[in-house]
Amino acid sequence: MNPFKSHDVRILEVRELTPREKLFTLRFLDPEVEENFTFRPGQFVIVDVRGFGEFPISICSPPTRKPLQLCIRKAGRMTRFIHGMTEGDVVGIRGPYGNGFPVEKMEGSNLILVAGGLGMAPLRSILWYAIDTGRFEKTYLFYGTKSYEDILFKDEILYLLKHGEKLNCHVKLAYEVETPSCIYLERGFSEKVCRGVVTDLFRGEEFDVHNTYALICGPPIMYRFVIRELLNRGLSPGRIYMTLERRMRCGVGKCGHCIVGTSTSIKYVCRDGPVFNYWDALSTRGLI
Amino acid sequence: MRYVKLPSENLPEFFNRLKKLGKVYAPVQRGSTYSFEQVEYIDDVALHYTRTVLPPKKFFVRPRDPMFKLRGSRWEEVKDGEPSVIFGIHACDIHGLKILDRVYLGEPPDPYYKARREKAFIVGISCMPDEYCFCKSLGTDFAMDGFDLFLHELPDGWLVRVGSVRGHEVVWENEGLFEEVTDEDIRHFREFEDRRAKAFKRSLNREGLADILDLAFHSPVWKKYAEICLGCGNCNVVCPTCRCYEVCDKWINAYEAVRERRYDSCFMESHGLVAGGHNFRPTRLDRFRHRYYCKSYFGTEGFNCVGCGRCDEFCPARIEHVKVLDDVRGVSYEPV
Repeated sequence: MNPFKSHDVRILEVRELTPREKLFTLRFLDPEVEENFTFRPGQFVIVDVRGFGEFPISICSPPTRKPLQLCIRKAGRMTRFIHGMTEGDVVGIRGPYGNGFPVEKMEGSNLILVAGGLGMAPLRSILWYAIDTGRFEKTYLFYGTKSYEDILFKDEILYLLKHGEKLNCHVKLAYEVETPSCIYLERGFSEKVCRGVVTDLFRGEEFDVHNTYALICGPPIMYRFVIRELLNRGLSPGRIYMTLERRMRCGVGKCGHCIVGTSTSIKYVCRDGPVFNYWDALSTRGLI
Repeated sequence: MRYVKLPSENLPEFFNRLKKLGKVYAPVQRGSTYSFEQVEYIDDVALHYTRTVLPPKKFFVRPRDPMFKLRGSRWEEVKDGEPSVIFGIHACDIHGLKILDRVYLGEPPDPYYKARREKAFIVGISCMPDEYCFCKSLGTDFAMDGFDLFLHELPDGWLVRVGSVRGHEVVWENEGLFEEVTDEDIRHFREFEDRRAKAFKRSLNREGLADILDLAFHSPVWKKYAEICLGCGNCNVVCPTCRCYEVCDKWINAYEAVRERRYDSCFMESHGLVAGGHNFRPTRLDRFRHRYYCKSYFGTEGFNCVGCGRCDEFCPARIEHVKVLDDVRGVSYEPV
């Protein structure tokens, strides 16, 4: 079995989330693969656009729901190509790769999901997993975006802003650029939406630090500030998880692009991550 | 270990018989450098070479390596892995292959590497160090495994160590070419090893190096060398343990494409670049330091350098691996 060979998937649906991001709903052509494809939130797959190349992407649908969904930002040559594809087109997928979030360990605890921009995509997987399984105490989602137009999964976020409490899910939103839609939104959910950065959303929130896990995903600059906020509140480094991005080519620890660390600790982000906790970051230089 | 003797006069015949096992590749001289190439006659082999430009990794992790062919809209696997004999590998390069084995044969095994590795018959050869070698200080100057046969030079032939079942079989099938090892041969072997041990001019001090390096993350030494470094990536290409590869899809004609992997270098700016333009190692300093940390990793997977001296010999900026690490060690003792 060649681990680099991808399985064919058919694009069932393409949904435009923002001008830059599209949501692809996919189904494996081989029913057996479709049946057996399991993953845990936080894992990623490698998408194979035949003749154009491969790129890694986080799974953004929860394992509790089929079919598989990927949120892809138009950022380069290959993603531009896949953005041009429509329903019925076939691409390849191999994976899932990486470790994913330690869901078993976190069961019964509160989850704080801190997302920045595209970081919402991998966290959406654990968000809906938590809601669907009900295995967690309470789920908080703190989501920071540039503007109203950049909110990913707008319908779901609006739904959870409105009805989240019924699902034991508390959603808050921060935006940086003010537009009329934002003001409207802020008026509707004055306690949950504000202008600012994602760390502003922690204001006024209380949680039991001994029964809470924080999961962070966003642009590299965000981690330091969010982690500082969480540590100040007394959350243990072992309870802070983050998912990282690197240039992952092979996905299985061979190609060497995602190696981080120094002479005492070297990690392959694709194999040892992409989810790391803050202890890992303290012992592995260059992780964040 | 089993030891037999191959008298000098039997070497050409032994070499000829190796061809039955597959294509024979051996070091040949090309101007002032050496290279592993397909060889027909023992006379073409440079038995006393120092080091080849490209290490024997090129047979297993190829500079350009097609993985799949696209026909219509389906990928077809590119299969290869002809039987081959790699004749005349030095101990450090055998250690280099062992490091590659750990990576490429680790779960999940790389099918391309595995097929080639399994079909390769490895014949090691003894060597004398030159001014670049520092393998002795890393314990890679002698190979205890990772080869099928290992030839140690004697005044009148070769002391052969048999390192694998296939090695045993080859000796068995060619019994007539080999002799028993005599006490005199053992004395000669010992003398050679003594002389060789004394010939090393360079050594790398590994004492506490892992922590010293880690603590020297902000050492000015990195900056000093990064300014001299040309960032050409030569050291990566010639390193027997560097294995980063990039995957590219390439159209051959309008209907057919090939997915191939190529050597990549952590000195290239694109190495740490992700979609959207963020670069995790944007400066040459970051990349220079990264290579040294990768090579000097002390962990369950072991030290990633075998002391072959290629990166020194082929560095156009004349940066010396041992000197950089010694410099970092010196600076890290002083409070920065």
